[in-house]
Amino acid sequence: MLWTRVTPTSDAVPGSGRGPSVTVGYEVAEDAVFKRVVRRGSATTGPAHDHTVKVDATGLRAGRTYFYRFTFDGHRSPVGRTKTAPTGSVSQLRFGVVSCSNYQAGHFAAYQHLAERGDLDAVVHLGDYLYEYGPGEYGAFRAHQPAREVTTLAEYRMRHGQYKTDPQLQQLHAAYPWIITWDDHETANDAWSGGAENHTEGAEGTWVSRRAAALRAYHEWMPIRFGAGDTIYRRLRFGSLASLSMLDLRSYRAKQGTPGSLTGPDQMAFLRESLLDSDVQWKLVGNPVMFSPLLVPPLPLAVGTALASLTGQSPDGVVLNNDQWDGYSADRRALISLLADNGVRDTVFLTGDIHTSWAFEVPVDAGTYPLSRTVATELVVPSVTSDNIDDLTRTPPRTSSVAVETALMGLNRHLKWAELDSHGYAVLDVRPAEVRMSWYFLADRQRADSPAALAKSVVVPAGTQSIR
Amino acid sequence: MRRRSFLRAAAGAVVLSAAPGVAFGAVRPGRRVYVVVLDGLRPDEVGPSLTPHLVALQGEGTYFPRARSLPVMETIPNHVMMMTGVRPDRTGVPANSVYDRLQGAVRTMDRASDLRFPSVLERLPALGSRTGTVLSKEYLYGVFGTRASYRWEPAPVLPVTGHAPDVFTSQALRAMVDSADPDLVFVNFGDCDRVGHSDVTGSVARSVAVRSADAQLGSFVTHLRETGRWERSVLVVLADHSMDWSLPTALISLQPVLDADPVLRGNVVIAQNGGADLLYWTGSEADRPLAVARMRSVVEAVEGVLSVHEPAWLRLGPEAGDLVAYCRAGWRFSDPKPWSNPIPGNHGHPATSPIPFLIAGGDPVVRKGVVSSAAASTIDVAPTVGALFGLPSPHGDYDGTVRREAIT
Repeated sequence: MLWTRVTPTSDAVPGSGRGPSVTVGYEVAEDAVFKRVVRRGSATTGPAHDHTVKVDATGLRAGRTYFYRFTFDGHRSPVGRTKTAPTGSVSQLRFGVVSCSNYQAGHFAAYQHLAERGDLDAVVHLGDYLYEYGPGEYGAFRAHQPAREVTTLAEYRMRHGQYKTDPQLQQLHAAYPWIITWDDHETANDAWSGGAENHTEGAEGTWVSRRAAALRAYHEWMPIRFGAGDTIYRRLRFGSLASLSMLDLRSYRAKQGTPGSLTGPDQMAFLRESLLDSDVQWKLVGNPVMFSPLLVPPLPLAVGTALASLTGQSPDGVVLNNDQWDGYSADRRALISLLADNGVRDTVFLTGDIHTSWAFEVPVDAGTYPLSRTVATELVVPSVTSDNIDDLTRTPPRTSSVAVETALMGLNRHLKWAELDSHGYAVLDVRPAEVRMSWYFLADRQRADSPAALAKSVVVPAGTQSIR
Repeated sequence: MRRRSFLRAAAGAVVLSAAPGVAFGAVRPGRRVYVVVLDGLRPDEVGPSLTPHLVALQGEGTYFPRARSLPVMETIPNHVMMMTGVRPDRTGVPANSVYDRLQGAVRTMDRASDLRFPSVLERLPALGSRTGTVLSKEYLYGVFGTRASYRWEPAPVLPVTGHAPDVFTSQALRAMVDSADPDLVFVNFGDCDRVGHSDVTGSVARSVAVRSADAQLGSFVTHLRETGRWERSVLVVLADHSMDWSLPTALISLQPVLDADPVLRGNVVIAQNGGADLLYWTGSEADRPLAVARMRSVVEAVEGVLSVHEPAWLRLGPEAGDLVAYCRAGWRFSDPKPWSNPIPGNHGHPATSPIPFLIAGGDPVVRKGVVSSAAASTIDVAPTVGALFGLPSPHGDYDGTVRREAIT
């Protein structure tokens, strides 16, 4: 899926509804200088699509790198690079994994580091690609446009347009294909099927119309195959080595704190089918919110309050983190049973949302772990920029959080590692022998040129559902 | 009548027998293949702490982390599949325990006549190679009968478990290699499984048994190196099934449920296989279709039952009866009585299908340090062994696949 936006006239800015309908040409080539062009064509756009252009470049060969560019009115766009998914026997895949990229909280240096390494097959973004808040409402390092919380189609378009002007974000889009899903902030904080925590019915319009506006802008502005009536949850295959099931855990969920489903019945059936697929080794699940059960110990109030703001829990320490799978335990139990009953191996949840870094073994019974079996692993990536514990407690990194991490691991024996302070990205290596997740942390989220360094690597050996 | 000849080896502690006309002691050149079954080993037990020798062998071979046991995930059918390369609807051996309609009794499939399909154990000797079996369990010794050129009768056999401890199996294996040197040896180490059955989840005893089985494997590799055989050896190391543990509160007894039904009462016999129950309609032939449908609906409603299948759907033959019921993970069947199956460790159900599977060795034909995403299974052993010896496929071909990922 190739994406760009064209500005045919100076007034045709995002969300304006102005400007003519135009036709944009595109070329796909096997080389960066377009000597071997394999596809050529054109696409029409206009104000009805906010002048965004999406081309589904079909007929390409599997497992190959391609280069593409757009042409309009004698101008050529910068060259983008993409890669098709491999088929058959695959020996290695490498993904960059990110989530929670709040423009107002810092620079997207993580994106630049992933772009510059140049060795990824794709970028997996697990949601909260952008945030709905107005300036200063959630981070004040740089200001959101438009200067208010976005609720209408024009405003969501403008916000998407602003994010797409970030040079580091542009760089990462141009470097690899992206595999994306949304979490809540693409619409509004703590969204569920009928509303959101950060939505005031009436004053901010109806949830139905707000959500439709957010989804339409998302559809226009994101490089995703998503036609009318399509679901955003979907499955990608990488030969016999891996599948990646991207979930939508906002559109079908019951309201937080009420009994009901997180996935909805159709998506649950889809996920069961993904996990029972006997033709594929690694069943990767692009999972916007944390799957593993998590008990939070009593913590110093300042830290507890900060953690609660990320997990939706009481600062005094409670069992339930009800915006995550913890709040929908029937769905989680059904999946854990499915994995155990059928002897399913090599399921790995790749998770975002919580702004912090975690590595879990998913036990059949957390109460009897480690004596009972594990059925999967879960690897959680930190935010690109969004606040985490040191930001929220306004303490230096690696001070107040260290004791919290230790306490969490003591109470949750299936939690193998946690780091609550750092921002950055992860790189996931998938091979028949193992999955390796490497977390890279930024020195300073507010520096565009922040260095990043490898902070932690964990290995999930094939067939073990364990973290080493 | 020509008789098998006998040899006392290892200071008289091991007695081996040879097929008529086959001598002991002949040292011959050529490739050796050793199929080593670590009975009941779970793939998640494979790691540097519990199975250091198996992990070391991974570096000298090709490992298949997606490998599976096939229905019914029991010892006898999977050993039979390993040596024949075909599914139970062709071998005639679908489970450890079946209801024998002629005999009118539930019995173990431990007779040589139960196995109807030619195995590599007798097909290789027909081409001039020699084969040997070192099987720790009496019923395996029984079902393979005199097919191999050389065989060891398990001894001493423990009462209750019906198997020889690994230390004796290991001694017999070395004696077999030293005194007969067969081209193919099929060996089963039973401790891991036997301890697993009586054990509770992941206890120290199970860990000790796994470590001990791994140590036997290590000592066998050392023996092959020390006797100069390693450079022409191929080892296929795998399990026949894995193991799942249940508490007495998670026990399914179908017989009383079936007998509570007015139509089914007294007309259904169950062959209990731990994690799988085979159900046989014994009433009139005319009533069978309706009765089987009724059995299915009754059984599907029982808590702990995962699924109910027609045997043909699982590639099981008529020996498997009319329906096969699987339990869920953490459960077990106990039939005909709730006290019939007191053991916590069981297999036979899908939760116990993941197995370790490794092809290693010093023979240059083996690909070293490879991990493959291919879906290997127990049924692939015979075709792979056959390919290593240039043995033609059997009549009707194999159901399994040559694991070419592991060989050059």
